[in-house]
Amino acid sequence: MKEIKLVFTGSMGAGKTTAISALSEIPVINTDVNATDEVIARKATTTVALDYGEMTLPDGQKLRLYGTPGQERFAYMWKILMQGALGLIILVDNAGENPLGDLDLYLKHFREDIEKTTAVIGITRMDLANKPNLAAYNDFLRNKNLQLPVFSVDVRRKHNVVMMVQALVAMLEY
Amino acid sequence: MLSSEQKQLLSDKLKTLLENSEEISAALVTTVDGHLCAMRQRENYPLDRLATMGSSLMSLGDTITAELRMGGCKNIISENENGIVTFMHINSSLVLVTVTLHKNALGMLLAHSRKAAEEMAKMLN
Repeated sequence: MKEIKLVFTGSMGAGKTTAISALSEIPVINTDVNATDEVIARKATTTVALDYGEMTLPDGQKLRLYGTPGQERFAYMWKILMQGALGLIILVDNAGENPLGDLDLYLKHFREDIEKTTAVIGITRMDLANKPNLAAYNDFLRNKNLQLPVFSVDVRRKHNVVMMVQALVAMLEY
Repeated sequence: MLSSEQKQLLSDKLKTLLENSEEISAALVTTVDGHLCAMRQRENYPLDRLATMGSSLMSLGDTITAELRMGGCKNIISENENGIVTFMHINSSLVLVTVTLHKNALGMLLAHSRKAAEEMAKMLN
C-alpha cells in the first residue's frame, strides 16, 4: 500500500513534536536540544533537525509523519523535509505574540508546496487565547487567495490531531 | 549562556587552532540550538548558517547513535569533492565545526579539532 509523507510545521511551541508524539505508533525520533535563547522562557528544549513518527489509518494506509524545526533560522530543514511530502499541517500557537504573523511566515515559505500538494491549518492553545478566532484565520487566508481548512486543535489529545490528519488525507484522495 | 569573556576565550582558541594548522580554513563554535558563539576563518564562508546547520547535524548524529545504542556521537565528518567539514561536541551545550579545503587532511583535521574541543571544554569548566 502506498505510504504518505506528511509534514508538520509551524511556530515555535505550537506543538509539532507533541502532535507527532500523540499520533505515532513507534517511539518518536526527535532532535530536541536544550534551548539557549529566548525560547527558554516558554520551553526548555527546541527541535533543531526533525521529528519522525509513523501512524496507520483504519484502512491500512501508512502515514510517515515529519516535524520541522519551528524557528526560521532552520528554514533549510523545511525545504529538505518537504521533499516528497504529499501534505502539510501548519500549527499556529494562538497564545503567541502574533499568531497571524506566524501563519503568514509559514504560508510564504511553503506557498509553492501548498499549491503543489495541500495543507490544513491547526490553531493550538485557543484555550489560553481566544483571539484571533477561527473566522479571523479564515478571513486572513481568503485575503491570501487560499482556501484551507482551519481547525482548533489540542495537540495533546490524539483524537483532535487524528481528525486534522484525516481531513488532510481526505483532501489528498479527492 | 556564555559570557562575553567566555566567547572571547573561545575566539582566541579558534585563532590558535587556525595558526597551528594552516590547512584549516575555518572554525566556529555554535550552541547546540544553532547560535554562533565564536568563529575564525581564512575564507569568506556564511558561518552563521553553518553554525545553525552544524547544530542540526550534531543533533542528528546524537539521535542516530542513541538509536543504535552506540554511546555518544564523537564526531560527524562530511567528506566532499573540495574539502572536509567536521562537527564535534565541546560539551553538552556547544559544538565545534571545522573546515578544510584539503581533501586528504581528514586525520589532521580530526586530531587538531579534537584537541581544541577538549581544551575548550576544560577552559569553560
